[in-house]
Amino acid sequence: MTHSIRLTVNGETYEREVEARTLLVHFLREQIGLTGTHVGCVVGECGACSVLVNGALVKACLMLAVQADGCEVTTVEGLSTRGALHPVQQALVDGFALQCGFCTPGFVMAVHALLARTPDPTEEQIREELSSNLCMCTGYVQIIEAVKDAASRLKSWNRGST
Amino acid sequence: MESRKYIGRSARSKEAPRYVTGRGRYVDDLALPRMLHACILRSPYAHARIVAVDGRRAEALPGVKAVVTPEAVKRLSRPFKPGRYAAGLRVPIPEYAGAIDKVRYVGEPVAIVAAETRAGAEDALELIDVEYDPLPSVVSTEEAALPSAPVLYEELGGNVAWEGHVAYGDPDAAFARADRIVRQHLTMHRYSSTPLEPFACLAEAAPERLTIWCNSQSPDVIYEALSEALGIDAVRVIVPDVGGGFGQKIHLIRKYAVLTALLAVEAGRPVKWIEDRSEHMTAGGHSCEQEFDVEAAVTAEGEVLGLKIRDTDDVGGSVSTLTIHFTNKLNNLFNTYKVQHLRLDGRSVLTNKCPVVPNRGIGKPGMCFVWERTMDLVARELGLDAIEVRRSNLVRKEQFPYTTPNGNIHGSGDYEALLDRVLVNVEYAEVRRRQAERRGGSTLLGIGVVIGVEPGGRNAARDMAIFPQSAQMPGSGGVEGATVKIEKNGSVVFTLGSPSCGQSHETTAAQIVADVLGVALERVSAAGTFDSVSSPWGISSSNSGNNFHLYDVGAVHGAATRLRDKVLTLAASVLRADPSLLRIEDGVVIPRGTGPRGPVESVTFAELGKIAYTNQALLPPGFEPGLQATYYHSHPHADPLMLPDMQGRVRAQYTFSSAAHAAVVEVDVETGRVRVVRYVIVSDNGTLINPAVVDGQIYGSAAHGISVALGEGFVYGADGQLLTLTLLDYGKSTTLETPRIEVEHCPVPDPFTTLGQKAAGEGAAIPSPAAIASAVEDALAPFGVEVRELPLSPERVWELIRARA
Repeated sequence: MTHSIRLTVNGETYEREVEARTLLVHFLREQIGLTGTHVGCVVGECGACSVLVNGALVKACLMLAVQADGCEVTTVEGLSTRGALHPVQQALVDGFALQCGFCTPGFVMAVHALLARTPDPTEEQIREELSSNLCMCTGYVQIIEAVKDAASRLKSWNRGST
Repeated sequence: MESRKYIGRSARSKEAPRYVTGRGRYVDDLALPRMLHACILRSPYAHARIVAVDGRRAEALPGVKAVVTPEAVKRLSRPFKPGRYAAGLRVPIPEYAGAIDKVRYVGEPVAIVAAETRAGAEDALELIDVEYDPLPSVVSTEEAALPSAPVLYEELGGNVAWEGHVAYGDPDAAFARADRIVRQHLTMHRYSSTPLEPFACLAEAAPERLTIWCNSQSPDVIYEALSEALGIDAVRVIVPDVGGGFGQKIHLIRKYAVLTALLAVEAGRPVKWIEDRSEHMTAGGHSCEQEFDVEAAVTAEGEVLGLKIRDTDDVGGSVSTLTIHFTNKLNNLFNTYKVQHLRLDGRSVLTNKCPVVPNRGIGKPGMCFVWERTMDLVARELGLDAIEVRRSNLVRKEQFPYTTPNGNIHGSGDYEALLDRVLVNVEYAEVRRRQAERRGGSTLLGIGVVIGVEPGGRNAARDMAIFPQSAQMPGSGGVEGATVKIEKNGSVVFTLGSPSCGQSHETTAAQIVADVLGVALERVSAAGTFDSVSSPWGISSSNSGNNFHLYDVGAVHGAATRLRDKVLTLAASVLRADPSLLRIEDGVVIPRGTGPRGPVESVTFAELGKIAYTNQALLPPGFEPGLQATYYHSHPHADPLMLPDMQGRVRAQYTFSSAAHAAVVEVDVETGRVRVVRYVIVSDNGTLINPAVVDGQIYGSAAHGISVALGEGFVYGADGQLLTLTLLDYGKSTTLETPRIEVEHCPVPDPFTTLGQKAAGEGAAIPSPAAIASAVEDALAPFGVEVRELPLSPERVWELIRARA
């Protein structure tokens, strides 16, 4: 038995039939080909599958695809525009804030959400907010520095786009 | 000699843009037409006889295309050949990719299913009928070694699967002339490196060859395994982007490559298998739990004359990596110390736990832990300063290149300078002052200062030191290739001989190519990731053993140098100039100097590319068309002691980075919680090719070692059930527990490597557990607490305090 869902992902509308048990992360990866959202634990601990659902940061392994019916979803593929990296992405690249890249899409989305809520985070706030995303490679040092850098880039980027 | 426009600079990552946009290509991102999905049925028992496995109900489920049971594994595949880590077995034990008649650990693969969807394959697992005859299990080495213990492999007659030793110098004589002998029993627990991307395989059995996409760190292991187990010689191993390795993806993953390939052959369709997190935690491989009985012979002044260690390794429920943690200790057997006499006795004991695999540092964190705990103990027992005891035992600057008693050659270094510098950076005196102020309070401050080496560049003959009798040489030294090509349009692509797991190999190699060829870094890129049919690979083509800096760097530098010669030969002909008078700048070949009428004619890489591939008439006589060069590198200074001598001396690895670590911790005496206040590293990694990349390796490996020391690890119940199935239970540190690690570089170039480079990868994971142990012990000195066991979880610290309070 399947269910019809209709949702917007990165600005495009999709109508699909899904099984009730299909997780949002599997829907994104397998049914609409957005493989940037990764599966690291499938129990909500690692954050590699973080996406935005109606603007809120969500672990896509903890949400069923049917629950996303009618929602607006943003994945890592939806952040860069016409080949230009989003300031969060650029700051992570310039700051060597990633190694194997597997956790990176989740961090990109988590940092994006953090800076949307808290444009000037302290290091403590950054550490608190990002504690739901695990990285096994970097020891977080360059990630945290890159978030500070992203915060300042984002401010001038936002000024530029308004 | 190449220019140094990019070497030494933190050039922007070549890989990062694809990763931040979600365009990395990991195995699970790949799909083939008609691809099936596999799922594995695993043992719920730690020890049981398999009486019967019936897959018929599963096969009948719509969408299920193949079910492979133990009977099918035995019928359709062959056991792996015992590798170098099983060479110590008394009797050969055939090990198949899946369990055959017995399961020996929870999570051991029993059956595998391929279906149209992953969910369908999972449904099918519930329909496989397995009859087990549960057996008593054993989870501690102490119990497993008893004659009355349940035996994992009846052929061995007991669970002590290997015993052996190495000895260098004259340890007995050193002990005889010692003023004092200090002793302690140390334990290092089971942990792992938990790469965020678990194991992943995608196999396709096409008529011309079997192709497997696999996130293996050592494609050679997969290549050999498929050929050994399935008898297939036409094998292609492709390693796309890999989501972290750290050693986890070297050995055990071969089982799954074989099982996935077997399904693909049986089903006649491509099959993808993706491990899930709990599968990885239970069966993806752990480090050994290691126990050490240590005795040190010392003088009254604190000079360590000799060391005797009895090492018991809990190798879990498989014989395939029996001695891997023991032989890796040969890599840093003397740490940074000039001690001449040492005996290491080893014992590998089988238990009903997950098999062991390499991970960040493998064996070496244990060896460093032994040395650094010993230095602290010597200081305490003799009433000396622990830092001064270390200092007086260090290999001195003027002794380099220094040959250790077991044959390792430390090419360069200045260990005392690292120690001095780390004391300055951590503000040692100030920490001591603050520590004194807080004595008697509820949170105590402690500082630990340790030192260690990071060996790099594997010698394939190392394990012959303990298996001189082995009939088959496992290989020796190292071989690895690289190809560099100038395209018709002047852009440059290179192919490395080994896979990467996130260490920015594409970036680092591109910097070398750009400098050697004299071309802008933006014009240089990697042709792709590892592919066994096109990558120039050899025994060192492994993302392990810290091989990249020695073998990949040597190979890509050699290939680029060869190509540069070709470029100059062709350009000289085109420009009618003497090749020795040409220089290359930004992809343009220019004759040196300028004539009276200004700059003379030059030729660009694009123009040369066009000629080389399209215009035979313009090629000089005898010039091989095309602009491509391949070079296979072996370490030119691999001798002496590439092969073991009569004393069992062999060069375990070829380069030795070193670092001093200082940890400042705060221990809450009420709760036992340890907080790392500062973590300072001073590191010598030789010539740095990309400092920010090296920093990243140091930060990451230090964070792992710190997390391990503070509580990250596996816990088993007495029945052999793993209690830490998730990353949360396992206790992986997050951004909240991980300190801001501070690094300073004090590089001393290696005299024997291509650019003076040394290893930079797993290094900081080696001394960091010891640093935390030292710091916690120092904080708890008022209680007289001795730290001899990791991890220092709050409960253990609290118990240590309570036992003394």
